[in-house]
Amino acid sequence: MASQGDDGPLVGRTGTLADLQSYLRDVGPGGTAAVFVTGESGVGKSRLLRETADALRGGGFAVLSGTCLDIGDASPLHPVLQALRRHDSALATVADDAGALLDRVSRELRMIAGDQRLLLVLDDLQWADRSTRQLLLYLLAGLGDVRVSVLAAIRAEALHGTHPLRRVLAELRRLRSVRVVDLAPLDREQTRELVSAIAARDVAVEDADRVYKRSGGNPFVVEELARDLRDGRVELSDTLREIFLARIDELPANAHAVVNALAAGVEPVEHPVLARVVRLPEDELLEAIRAAVAYRFVVGDGEGYRLRHRLVAEVLEQEVLPAEAAALHRRYAEALEVCPGDADHARLAHHWQRAGSPDRALPSVIAAAHSAESLYGFAEAHRHWTLALRLTGDDVAGADPIQRTELLGHAAESAHQCGEHLLALARLEELAGRKDAPGECELHLRRARYLAAAGRSEPAEREYELALAAPDCTPQLRVTAAAFLAELLLHLGRYADANQYARDALELAAINGSTADLVRASAALGFSAAFREDPDAGLAVIRQAVEIAERSGHPDDLGVAYLHLAELLTGPLNSIEEGVLVARRGADRLASRGVGRTYQTRLLAIAGNGLFRIGQWAEADSVLEEAMRHRPSGADAVELLLARSRLWVGFGEVDNARRDLDAAATLLAGGGARHVLPMLTLRAGLAMWQKEHATARAAVQRGLTETRSDDLVLLGVLAWHGLRAEAEARAAGSTVDPGALRRLKTVVARLETGAGNAAPEVRAVIDGYLYLCAAELSRVEDRQDPEPWARAAAIWDRREQPYPAAYSRLRHAEVALARRARRTAAVAGLRQAYATAIAMGARPLANEIKGVAQRFRVSLAEEADTVPMPPPEPDPGDELAVLTGREREVLAAVAEGLTNREIGELLFISERTVGVHLGHIFDKLQVRTRVQASRVFLTAA
Amino acid sequence: MIQPIWGPVQSQMSAILQEHPDDVPAVVDQLAKLQDVLCQVPPLLDGNPLADFNRLYLTITENVLDRLYAGKFKDPAFLSRLDVEFAARYFDALRYWTESSPACPGAWAGLFSRIPGPDPRPLPSAVAGVNAHINFDLPFALVTTFDHLGTDPIDGSDQHHDYLQVNDIFAEEIPGLRRGYLDRWQLLIDTMNGDLDDWWQGEMVEYTRNVAWRNAQKIWAVRHEQIALDRERRRLDRTASGLGKLLLSPFAEFLQ
Repeated sequence: MASQGDDGPLVGRTGTLADLQSYLRDVGPGGTAAVFVTGESGVGKSRLLRETADALRGGGFAVLSGTCLDIGDASPLHPVLQALRRHDSALATVADDAGALLDRVSRELRMIAGDQRLLLVLDDLQWADRSTRQLLLYLLAGLGDVRVSVLAAIRAEALHGTHPLRRVLAELRRLRSVRVVDLAPLDREQTRELVSAIAARDVAVEDADRVYKRSGGNPFVVEELARDLRDGRVELSDTLREIFLARIDELPANAHAVVNALAAGVEPVEHPVLARVVRLPEDELLEAIRAAVAYRFVVGDGEGYRLRHRLVAEVLEQEVLPAEAAALHRRYAEALEVCPGDADHARLAHHWQRAGSPDRALPSVIAAAHSAESLYGFAEAHRHWTLALRLTGDDVAGADPIQRTELLGHAAESAHQCGEHLLALARLEELAGRKDAPGECELHLRRARYLAAAGRSEPAEREYELALAAPDCTPQLRVTAAAFLAELLLHLGRYADANQYARDALELAAINGSTADLVRASAALGFSAAFREDPDAGLAVIRQAVEIAERSGHPDDLGVAYLHLAELLTGPLNSIEEGVLVARRGADRLASRGVGRTYQTRLLAIAGNGLFRIGQWAEADSVLEEAMRHRPSGADAVELLLARSRLWVGFGEVDNARRDLDAAATLLAGGGARHVLPMLTLRAGLAMWQKEHATARAAVQRGLTETRSDDLVLLGVLAWHGLRAEAEARAAGSTVDPGALRRLKTVVARLETGAGNAAPEVRAVIDGYLYLCAAELSRVEDRQDPEPWARAAAIWDRREQPYPAAYSRLRHAEVALARRARRTAAVAGLRQAYATAIAMGARPLANEIKGVAQRFRVSLAEEADTVPMPPPEPDPGDELAVLTGREREVLAAVAEGLTNREIGELLFISERTVGVHLGHIFDKLQVRTRVQASRVFLTAA
Repeated sequence: MIQPIWGPVQSQMSAILQEHPDDVPAVVDQLAKLQDVLCQVPPLLDGNPLADFNRLYLTITENVLDRLYAGKFKDPAFLSRLDVEFAARYFDALRYWTESSPACPGAWAGLFSRIPGPDPRPLPSAVAGVNAHINFDLPFALVTTFDHLGTDPIDGSDQHHDYLQVNDIFAEEIPGLRRGYLDRWQLLIDTMNGDLDDWWQGEMVEYTRNVAWRNAQKIWAVRHEQIALDRERRRLDRTASGLGKLLLSPFAEFLQ
């Protein structure tokens, strides 16, 4: 927050000003840009923000600006809501979930921007609440679909210690579209220039140098000292504090009072509020304000008054007696209570608290907590609840014990919601110690939930058992506890125990359970059965859960049930195509009811990933596109962006891949370590198609330092990419990095050991990657051996994943052709790989294949004629347009009179999956028999 | 800047400090570059206190990187972040010192100001650096890392386990920190801050490592409260600066 109005000249910042403008125009692949200006207080950050905004306003930019507050417990999204208000745009802040709220804010911003770019200026970002930081990342990732450039100022002092922005900035620095500009103090020359300009005459070099020495080149202080010099005032003090205290003493008494009042206020302070706080007759008040402005302490605009610089407020804070400060805060609180307009609970709470009237602060604090929760600002809400607890401590006279119990409950839950698990547990302990605490069973249940969320599985398990054994455990609570416990045990890989508890829960749930419990218990039972090698039984249980959820119709039940079924099918059962069908069906069901946005997004992500694996990329593309239309945020958005960039990398769409990877990286700057590896793997994959082996190597090597030893599958993909990068470097005639190679070999050894202990379905995937690794290694070592590639192709064929299979065939053919051995088989393999690559749309892979074909004078054409072409884009008026590509294929086969079994063999899918497809086709075409369906197909075709 | 702090290598220093390494290999790289330049700082060249510390820190970080590659940590994502975050604070301190900024923590300023002499010994210098880094920087680096990963600092967790492993590396790499010296250290530090109970729990590195973890837990609880946080930072800086002064004083010579 800085000085405004009658500024001195801008010295020594011309270059920076030009840079800022060009950075803000220079948007990255995602269409967004950001500049963070850091520097100490008074170094001229706000001034620079203002000048930049003025320069860009009208030049194709719509400008919105807001300032974060330092009252520590401001309301969520404060600076952005303030910016919108300044634009006379009040936001309806009621939304279904946090993501919907972000979407709503974006829509508002989009409207304001119109056809221009939006420049969002945020001052004092170090005080931003968590919600604002999340919104910022959401916008910068391009998820809000706003063409936005963000310009923000951050006080360097605040970045010491543990400030959350530290990490965010460190992560964002990697991106091309984000710049961090460190604003340095003026140097000696620049200080002289500024002093001369303000003094409006030639200043003796010694004088200017003295100013430099005393100010350390801080422009704000330089200006003040230069004015002293001009006015012939002799100042001996060296500290900022003394400089300002001397100056404030010169103010008329009433103006002094105005300045003191503003220092205690939350800026901007509206005139009616100030009038009630200062309590002067109108004429005298106006005169006092005018004097404070004339002495350059205060500035005013349409919104109210503020001090020219927050530094002044900080100096004054130490000067005001505690009793004086309390009185001022009380007057503020009283003034705010009588002033018309919506109550600003956070601001009111701030003043009452500092007025030393905890009892009066309490209602505002509670109101502020509730309003923060309604904006999904759980971190802010939690701070308010904590404050409320402090205000009602047992040692506080007149505190209401019943209210305290209630507050503790809220505080524990909000801490849990915002991820403060330790605090949640501490609050819960305090709650448990109270006379009017909730029942024993409920306490154990809550404790278990918090412990599980904190990743402490063992104590969580104990707590669930205690809950089950508690004397006050009702049948309903018993179902809940058993279902949760079964879920926990499943995550711990203890399938037999999970199975037992899930059975117990289901038995009880038949009479006493809620649908949520039923679904949870069924899922645990289903997965544990599947892992214990009884997949059909497991599948049956979860299918039943889906039916129950369909009957209840509650979005959470539906979402969770479909999610479990889809995960079971695409995961352990490797029945990907059917899993994809289930996921899409679930998303449709929810969409038709207009509910469960988050679940729809997750289901579509599963479908998209499954379609990618089975090589139906065009379909995957459209599913992911649909999912993105739900405007996901947070981890959901990261999943989708990564899924989509996987597709872009495969298609060879470099710019799109970069855009999505940058967007994912932006979101990850806010936290989320488990997505870092897939992101690095994709970066490596992209770099390899670009022949940038060094970049690929760097990404993989960084990934190797961040892989958990139990992330075996992720590690497998990463190691394959690493070895492939070395192999391609070698093939391209550049050097193999021996250190990197040694480390990759170590990782492969680790993988081999790990695979031995992994569950069978995990093992199957790891084996696929181990075969690829072994094959790449033979390439790195120039062994010219086609065998490892043949094995790799075979294992991926078995897993029905055409992309890695086609890649393996390419390499196999390359080696075989080079050795002039079994040319016919090699040519056939190459053609098959080419057909697969073309069918998927995998252009970079197809190009590599063409390159190899040219090198060995192999014609791909013969086979290319019979390439199964991707189904033609449906005519919009076509009756078959409602069907997916796969459904059209199935229908075509039905029309040829094939049986389900024959169709399954033709399309490499299970008979059951064909049945599911047919069910959907019948639904969509509204027919009931194969004959009717065939007729529709033949008429349309 | 009235005169360049780093003398003839000022511009090289500034150039290196322009970089903000964001993964462990990059941290190692940065430390190696710093080592080259620090060995050219007059008047002592190869033997100034910061070069001594930097050499030790480089060795330790290389060791950490090797273990990361070898999969020796339970939660490498945590450890990589911690390592980067930890190093960033050392680089920040150097940056502040280079800019003559008052923001340079006292714990570091004490060591930096001894670069021109008088003749410090390698062991106390290196240990003084370790002191500033572990006693002051580490708790904050821990808190930031946990905050970023969205997990809590819990005793006995995977992260705690990994954290202790890093301290084992520190202990291995500090050549002189053997039990024989520790009795004398103990005396010194007891007189310094009087935290007897903590002190008796074990030897020097064990002592500091538990203190850093405990301090991190303490800071974790107040990390949203600016005033309490500042108070905590000042307290840690004071303790670490005092300890550092002692280590660099002639008093510490008998440790050699």
